[in-house]
Amino acid sequence: MPGEELRELANRAVAEIAGAADDAALEAARVKYLGRKEGALSEATKRIAKLPPGEKPAYGAAVNEGKLRIERALEERTRALREARVARDLGGEREDMSLPPRRVRVGRLHPISQTVREVSRVFATMGFETVEGPEIEWDYYNFEALNIPPGHPAREKWQTLWISNPLGDDPSRPLLGRTHTSPMQIRVMEQRRPPVRVVIPGRCYRYEATDAIRESIFFQYEGLAIDEKLTMADLKGVLFSFARQIFGSDRKIRFRIDYFPFTEPSAEIAFDCFSCEGRDPECRVCGGDGWIEAAGCGMVHPDVLRRVGYDPKRYQGFAFGGGIERLAMLRTGAPDIRLFYQNDLRYLEQF
Amino acid sequence: MLIKMPVSWLREYVDISVPIDELALRLHMSSTEVKGVERPWWDDKVRVGRISKLAKHPNADKLQLATVEYGEDRPKTVVTGATNLTVGDIVPFADEGAQIIDGHTGERTTLRGKPMRGIQSEGMVLSAKELGQGEDHDGIQVLDRKLPVGARLRDVLGETILALELQPNRPDCLGVVGIAREVAAILATGLREPPVDRLPERTSRDLDVRIEDPVACPRFAAALLTGIRIGASPTWIQQRLIAAGMRPIDNVVDITNYVMLELGQPLHAYDHRKLRGGLLVARRARRGETLRTLDGVERVLHDDTLVIADADRALGVAGILGGEDSEIREDTTTVALECASFEPRGIGRTAANLGLHGSAGSAAARRFSWELSPDLVPVALARAVRLLREHAGAEVSGVMDRYPKRRGVVNVRMRFSDIPRVLGIEIGPEETLDILRRLQFVAAADGDTLVATPPAVRTDIAIAEDIVEEVGRIAGYDRLPVRVPDGPLPLHERHPLQEFRERARDGLAGFGLQEVLSYSLIDPAWLGMLTADGSCIAPEPLRVINPTTVAQSAARPTLRASLLDTARRNLRNRAGVAIFEIAPLYLPQRGDLPDERWTIGILLAGNAEPVRDGETWLTPERPWDVRDLQGYVLALADLLDVQTAGDQVDAPGLHPGRSLAFAHDGRRHLVAGQLDPRVAAKWELPAETFIAEIDLSSWLDAARPPRVIAPPRFPAALRDLAIVVDEATPYRDVEREIRAAGGTDLGSIALVDLYRGPQIGAGKKSFAVRLVLRRATATLGEEDVDRLVKRVAGRLQQALGATIRS
Ligand SMILES: [Zn+2]
Repeated sequence: MPGEELRELANRAVAEIAGAADDAALEAARVKYLGRKEGALSEATKRIAKLPPGEKPAYGAAVNEGKLRIERALEERTRALREARVARDLGGEREDMSLPPRRVRVGRLHPISQTVREVSRVFATMGFETVEGPEIEWDYYNFEALNIPPGHPAREKWQTLWISNPLGDDPSRPLLGRTHTSPMQIRVMEQRRPPVRVVIPGRCYRYEATDAIRESIFFQYEGLAIDEKLTMADLKGVLFSFARQIFGSDRKIRFRIDYFPFTEPSAEIAFDCFSCEGRDPECRVCGGDGWIEAAGCGMVHPDVLRRVGYDPKRYQGFAFGGGIERLAMLRTGAPDIRLFYQNDLRYLEQF
Repeated sequence: MLIKMPVSWLREYVDISVPIDELALRLHMSSTEVKGVERPWWDDKVRVGRISKLAKHPNADKLQLATVEYGEDRPKTVVTGATNLTVGDIVPFADEGAQIIDGHTGERTTLRGKPMRGIQSEGMVLSAKELGQGEDHDGIQVLDRKLPVGARLRDVLGETILALELQPNRPDCLGVVGIAREVAAILATGLREPPVDRLPERTSRDLDVRIEDPVACPRFAAALLTGIRIGASPTWIQQRLIAAGMRPIDNVVDITNYVMLELGQPLHAYDHRKLRGGLLVARRARRGETLRTLDGVERVLHDDTLVIADADRALGVAGILGGEDSEIREDTTTVALECASFEPRGIGRTAANLGLHGSAGSAAARRFSWELSPDLVPVALARAVRLLREHAGAEVSGVMDRYPKRRGVVNVRMRFSDIPRVLGIEIGPEETLDILRRLQFVAAADGDTLVATPPAVRTDIAIAEDIVEEVGRIAGYDRLPVRVPDGPLPLHERHPLQEFRERARDGLAGFGLQEVLSYSLIDPAWLGMLTADGSCIAPEPLRVINPTTVAQSAARPTLRASLLDTARRNLRNRAGVAIFEIAPLYLPQRGDLPDERWTIGILLAGNAEPVRDGETWLTPERPWDVRDLQGYVLALADLLDVQTAGDQVDAPGLHPGRSLAFAHDGRRHLVAGQLDPRVAAKWELPAETFIAEIDLSSWLDAARPPRVIAPPRFPAALRDLAIVVDEATPYRDVEREIRAAGGTDLGSIALVDLYRGPQIGAGKKSFAVRLVLRRATATLGEEDVDRLVKRVAGRLQQALGATIRS
């Protein structure tokens, strides 16, 4: 077959390919011309071997040229068809994207878990290590070691739930639900030597009627730092930093006199109200006086240090304690402390 | 202790040069918590009234009609249920529209005239409670006869009051004079002490005083007073008692109360006629001794109770409660006036034994449970004698003061530099001395040393730190700088259980479960509701001895009850719940604190894809099933790198056919499955309730940090097998045999389908599994794969009698 005929074949193939309406027509054209078994070009290729030696080179070159043209046409048409398809899709039907999606279930941590973590995280920035301890405690750790012996009038501040062990009670060692996280001050100091910097979150118990701001089962955080030179100014700095990190960097802090048998001097910490900044006498967050009482604190009493074997002539430091629920309520506007523990999912799913 | 401090009373002892709000703030910051400043709020319609007529209500036996003059032309007629009124009484009268306190709710309300048993009440005569002056709502508050009828009550009785919350270390603040001392120090001004009579000790034949227990009663003084005329006390005394929240009774009782409010020291007056042997003695109660106390109760006294007795019998529980027999009566003319000092913790214990501690106790008992200074005793006695002389005709016939072991004087020696050492602020010696002297300390410098002696009433001062607090609070904590602590940081420890627990918490929330947190004290009855037959799944719990409610009286030994309760309450308003809780269980241990075992509880119930709650147009509604629960448990184990192991054991309380439990070293560390439907019914839960419990520390022990390898470099071959086995053969066995035969070239096994039906015959099932085969060092050839599959098939046939269809 002369070269002319081959060119003609290629022309026909290229035209057919260019006119292929879809992928199927294109594939049919490919098979028709380039198919391994019956493709026209394959037939022509087989013929090369039968030609006289002088004609072979020219013929072979013509076959290759035809093949190349057809392949190029196939590629072009494939691309054109794909682009047309994408263009059609892009210009075609619009999904209603306002329809709700396939639901992905969202689980949240309980607001108290979130707040406990937040407290630990903030104090960690100041070198405090989070430790935990028993909720059911001995009277000794909860009271006596903290300068509150039996009959001490300060016990009135910590109305106690007393606990009975079904395996037997020891009248000389009463069990109780810890009324504060402060017994962990003693446990930590019994186990470690200064410098000490710990924060202890955990559950506490009081014999107390509950209302919108008080629960008889609740969470506290306790902080303790002991070293050689820590002062009340350091205590103020730590709590100031805490307030800024929890409630924002504009916060002010206020110390006033308070009394705890296990700290001397003692103080109560208040933050200025992040909601009204003292400007709203009807403020729901602060009650109108512009300050939010947040925690009790003080310098650890020398008798407490002595009791755990720390020399109060050498070591001194501070302790503080506050309510986790109160922080959670302040941060989220939660209206009633009891809602945290009613576990109505419609409520918890908002945190 | 909350006390009410009338400002006019305070002004008697100290000049207040600043506005009351400023005073309140400065006291609050430096001295004692100010709960509030109460100002007279009665409006113009609350007047001084006079009862001009009393008549029976025609339609009700228990009501009276009182005609009240109140300065207007026409008197008004009010209906009252009070029984303490007589004609001529001066009373508070509220006209219609006045603001008063509702006697029942305690809330402020506007008085509206309303008919009572057919007769319109044109206003109201008021009780102390309705005036907002205390809790007394039994009778009408009868006022001083000299008050001008028709005057606005605000103008004649109005009083600004500081509500102070005192702390038990400051018994010196229990009296007005004590607060005045604080105010004087804060405002840097002088203090005027109240006038007292000089009382030289004078023994009397008719009264002797003895202390048998000088530890429980360190000091006991008494005065014998004759010529007493019982009557009403002067108006100014009555008004101050009312303002402070006490009810006037008669001149003798009112004066003892007045002195208590003024100085903080309680006193007790006895009718001398009733003292047998003319003796007052502080002694322990005798075994089986009884006493009829002022509250009308006949009490058997515990034998460590300190009593005040005469020669024969107990007259009262010392410092806590007087006896009925020796109380002052209208015809009393001779009074033995007791003023004593008691050991506070003994008072606290006895009051607690009598159920009279804290706010249940008398004003005296509450004060005595704080460490009042014995030095107050002669001062209070002298003050009371003076007032009784002036207002009750008393003449002193004898005075005794027993104080066998004097309290030593406290002398604190410290360095001036201790103040900046503790506070971190520079307060120099001069300012330190000034502050202490304003607080009535005797303070002097001895070189670098400060020597300070507190006033005798300050029983809270003992060590240098106490002095530091005094100086710091009066200088003002405002002056504390804000400093970030420096110095060495401790080395921190790791807390594997805490870290593991928090990973679990994040994991479960990440899976879409909501975390809940429920009360750790539960109703013990719940523990009997966790199995069909009521038997226990957990050890006998620790109990609260004095629970606030039975619903919080057992320390939970399982999370299951709390989860079921939470699910039950939520399913009332939603179609499905998927929740978890992570909390400790309290497992009793003999002679030790309970084992607080951190536990994960997971609960699924109701609809997994509810139509009611979510947008489910893309997903069909379906209930949770046991495979969901297994999925969460396995995913959690996967996330936490836990290789769960152990022996399979019973899962009490769960459906025996759809649950599993594993134990290790005798402890069930994983329980998961469908709740026994009979248990579900007890909790009003759907039968499709699924629950899992995981013992956190067991899982931590079983956790292995992953040893990682690079991702595979060679492609995997997939082969599907249909494995027909007997119905009784669990999938676990099939998987085990495949793994055993597959060796290291077996990557993973997936169950693609489970088929039962006619094609394989009855009593059989077919697992369609897909094996992923891969070698780490080379691509597996066809022959390798065929050989492996043949080995697997052979093993399944041999071990399980399986038929394999490719
Ligand atoms: Zn505010």
